[in-house]
This record gives sequence, structure tokens and C-alpha cells, in this order.
Amino acid sequence: MPDLTTSIGNTTFQNPVFVASGTFGYGLENPDLVDVSKFGAIVTKSITRHPREGNPPPRIVETPSGMINSIGLANIGVEKYVREMVPNYEKIGVPIIMNIAGSVEEEYCEILDIVESVSSNIVGYEINISCPNVKEGGIEFGVDPLLTEALTSALRKRTEKLLILKLSPNVTDIRVIANAAVNGGADSVSAINTVYGMSIDSMARKSEIYTTYGGLSGPAIKPIGLACVHKVFNAVDCPIIGIGGITDSADAIEYLLAGASAIQVGTANYRNPAAGLSIVEGMESYCSKHKISHITDLIGKVKTHE
Amino acid sequence: MIVIENASVITNTEIASGIWQLEVESPQICSEYAGPGQFISLLTDNGWEHPLRRPMSIAGVNGSQLTIIYKIFGDVTILLSQMKKGDLLNFLGPVGNTFSGWDNADVNPILIGGGVGLAPILNLKKACDDNNRDAAIIIGARTGSEHSMKHDPDNSIFLTTDDGSVGEKGTVMPVLERLANDMKNVMLFACGPEPMLKAVQSFAVSAGILTQLSVESYMACGIGLCQGCAIETPNTNGSKHSYHEQFSLVCMDGPVYPASEVTFA
Repeated sequence: MPDLTTSIGNTTFQNPVFVASGTFGYGLENPDLVDVSKFGAIVTKSITRHPREGNPPPRIVETPSGMINSIGLANIGVEKYVREMVPNYEKIGVPIIMNIAGSVEEEYCEILDIVESVSSNIVGYEINISCPNVKEGGIEFGVDPLLTEALTSALRKRTEKLLILKLSPNVTDIRVIANAAVNGGADSVSAINTVYGMSIDSMARKSEIYTTYGGLSGPAIKPIGLACVHKVFNAVDCPIIGIGGITDSADAIEYLLAGASAIQVGTANYRNPAAGLSIVEGMESYCSKHKISHITDLIGKVKTHE
Repeated sequence: MIVIENASVITNTEIASGIWQLEVESPQICSEYAGPGQFISLLTDNGWEHPLRRPMSIAGVNGSQLTIIYKIFGDVTILLSQMKKGDLLNFLGPVGNTFSGWDNADVNPILIGGGVGLAPILNLKKACDDNNRDAAIIIGARTGSEHSMKHDPDNSIFLTTDDGSVGEKGTVMPVLERLANDMKNVMLFACGPEPMLKAVQSFAVSAGILTQLSVESYMACGIGLCQGCAIETPNTNGSKHSYHEQFSLVCMDGPVYPASEVTFA
């Protein structure tokens, strides 16, 4: 049997297949449809300091090989999250990575302090500095290396657990932001969050998303994600979690070859919440077939023409 | 419990202009089915050009066979209309809540449908028939060729068309108002295009008639994960799954709502 374990910082995961933030709720919603204990990890939807209603509808629309969403970080807020969700994580037998979003540094810190004040089996935090849909989603940080570094250092002081900064592709050079996160003490970066997108109904002559712009995800953005991961891998020394349009094990392997140490499945979960499990199986057969004894041997091994 | 299964096509036929009826063998979903109002979410495209499932109301369940009715609207429904006997379609379901109160002996149900809103309304009509509940049914369309039923007022089946080519000319509203005025203890159940639901809602509220509306929404997952299918609601307590008060998730809290709990844009 090939070894699928992978490490981010000092944490080892049973396999590199995580489910992405916003596509699997709080991780507790659907035990019937999928055995979540087989995932490498679950990344929760973004948790904010206070509960958020989210954006008015329409919030989603299908686009060619993808979709645009503008949910607006609808969530129960950190206090209720700690009270009602965190205690249940012991039962589900899969590492939880909590995704945190905020609008100012103090807010991120406050959220982290509240979660750190209780004992939990949350293994790490993914810091959303890249939500394209609301001001409170941290995009101001995600496009500014100085703010990214300052925020990362402030959070680093508050936790020993995994600290992962989730990066936006909507920047001039993603390597600069990745580097700032690492300088601030991040264990890892995840890339990419959704790409700014717009959809127009020509018959109604109207934008299809209430907030006009939203975040494009799905197979349509896979080439963007691969390029971002590959660029960061060649410029910054930290494990990368690859995200963007992963639907099957071939996609996942491509991300590893580009430089990712783990991957997250996002939009594909909407079609089949067990998509991640077939990706795990597919990775296993890929390794067996190609005589790869450890999946991590593939990381960054893409051959380029230069 | 919601399940995912490959449903095998039994029949797929155009029952009126642009309106198709698809019958599949879907034993697991049928065994979990709770009643009219519930829907399934299907995939027609095994590739990823159309990544999202399409929610469609259940038009009938008979043993292990399930029927949906769909309207040709875009690429996905065109693909769906090309499915042949034996083809497999990936179904997720049953999803959502059901119409309720129609089986109450004191109630006279009036069912109102239009467009693809026909599916759950026909399903509810059959349930009423099976339970010996006399239910009037009013179906609206733009023109006669979009109707699959016969106008039959003696049996309380009323068709309307915008152009008057079949049944009564105009919308469903004049017929509804007439029936509602003539009957006692009326309860309304409606599914259809938003302008129709708005009109039914506004009539129901002013006439003080209990009414349930089945609403549509764009939907990505159908199982409460994506929060994409939110609709606005004035209700401050009803939305269990959207974690807040202003919005409700059609997939988990709906698709059937009391008329007073839906805010149309």
C-alpha cells in the first residue's frame, strides 16, 4: 500500500485530501452521505467574530465549467461556534481546520483567542484574507504584504497550532503575499481562494449575482490555481495547500506535482459530497501504478520545458 | 435520509410543448420519499461543463418509480430530453419538506400550478385523490400547447391560457378568486413562476386564506452546505438551517413555505 500521509508544519495527516472552506459547512452536517473520517482534514466555513446573515439572493450562479458564489460569509459567529460545534468534533474522527475571517486585525485575534481559550481537537487555523465578496472577508489584508505579515505575526503569537494563510489569486504577484505570510510565521499557505467573476443574463440585461461580482470556482479556475501553487512553490519555502477546480485524483496529483503538499476539494463537493473519498482512492491507485511509495515524493516534481 | 443513486430512465416524453415528463427507477430515493413538495437534484452531465445539479420537484412516486416534469430551458434540459430508456442519471434526494394540511378533513384544497410548477401540484393532486380529498386544480400557461391536461371544470380541473386558446383566458387568478369565494375552509397550495406566486400570495394575505407556496431557487448542493439557495423571509424563527433570521435555505427549510413567510424581491 502506498503511503498517503503528508505533513504541514508539525502535523501529519492520513492523506492529502481536505475539503475546502465553505463547501462542507461546519463539518458536522452530513454524516449519512459520506464517511468524513476518511478525509485528510475538514476545513470549516469561515467563522467571524459575530454571526452574519450573509448576502441577499441570488447568491450563486453556474458558469461554464464553474460557478460564481457570493454567500457573504453567512455563519453563526465564533461564540456559538465554540459552544455548539467544537464539542462535537471529538465524535467525527477527522482533523478540523477552522477557517477564520475578519475585517481588522483585532477581530482575527479576538476570534483566535476565544477558540484557543477552550480545549478542542481543532488542529489548525486557516486565515481567510481573500474572500472576494465582503469587506469583512479580509481581502484588504490579502492584497497587501505588510498587512499580511503583521496579521500573521499577531496570530502566530497566539497559537502553537497550524497557521495557514489562505491566499487570493486576485493580486499582482501571489509570491509576495505568500512570502509575507511566511515571514510573519505562517506554517503554510493555501492557494487559491476564488477568482473575481461576473455573470450577466443578456435577456434580462441584469447581473446574475446580487453583489454584482462574486467568487469564481470549479474546474474553470484549475489552471489559475496550478500556476499560483507552482509560482509560490518556487519562491517560498513552506508547505502549500493547493485549491482550485479539483474534481478527481488526476487534478489532485497535478496540484502535488505543481508543489502542493495537500489539496482541498471545493466546488466538487456540491455535486458529490463524497468526491474527496474517490480522490483518495484514485491517488492510491496512481501511486501503485506508478510505483510511488510515498505520495509526498510527487511534490513539486513537475517537469518544465525550461 | 438523503441518498445519491443512479436512477435508470424508464420513459422520457414530451407531454406538452416544451414540457417533458421523465420516469425513472429510483428505489432508494422512493423508499425515503415523504410526500408531495419534496424534490430531487439531478446531474445530466458527467463532464464538468455544467458542474451543478439541477433541483426538480417530484411529480409522482409509484413503488420504486419516480416521475419528474421539466421544462426545456437551456443546455441541461436539452441534454435531459435526449435521455433514453436504460440511461442512468445521478439523482440526489429526496430533499426538502412537504405540503401539509391538505389531508385535513375540514379543509378544501385548491391547487395552483404553472410552468414547471406543475410537477409538485400534480403530485399533490394525486395524493388528494388517493386520500379521497376533493381538490380543485388550476393550471396556468401562456398558450394551449403548453398544457398537458384537459380543461374539465365539472371535475374541478381548470386550465387558463394567456391567449385564451385553451380553458379560460387570462391568468390563474380570476379562477382562483371565484373558487375561493364560492367555497368554505379553503386552503391554497401553489407552485409556479414568481409572478404567479406573488399574485397568489397577495390574494391569500388579503383574503386571510391559509396558503403554502413551493418556491424555486438556484441551488448548488441541495444539502445545506453551500448556503446558496437562501431566500428572504420576514419570519424571525423559521430558518433553522441558515443560522440567521433574515434568510432561509430552500433546500433544508423549504421548498414549501407558508405564504406569509416568503418575501419576494
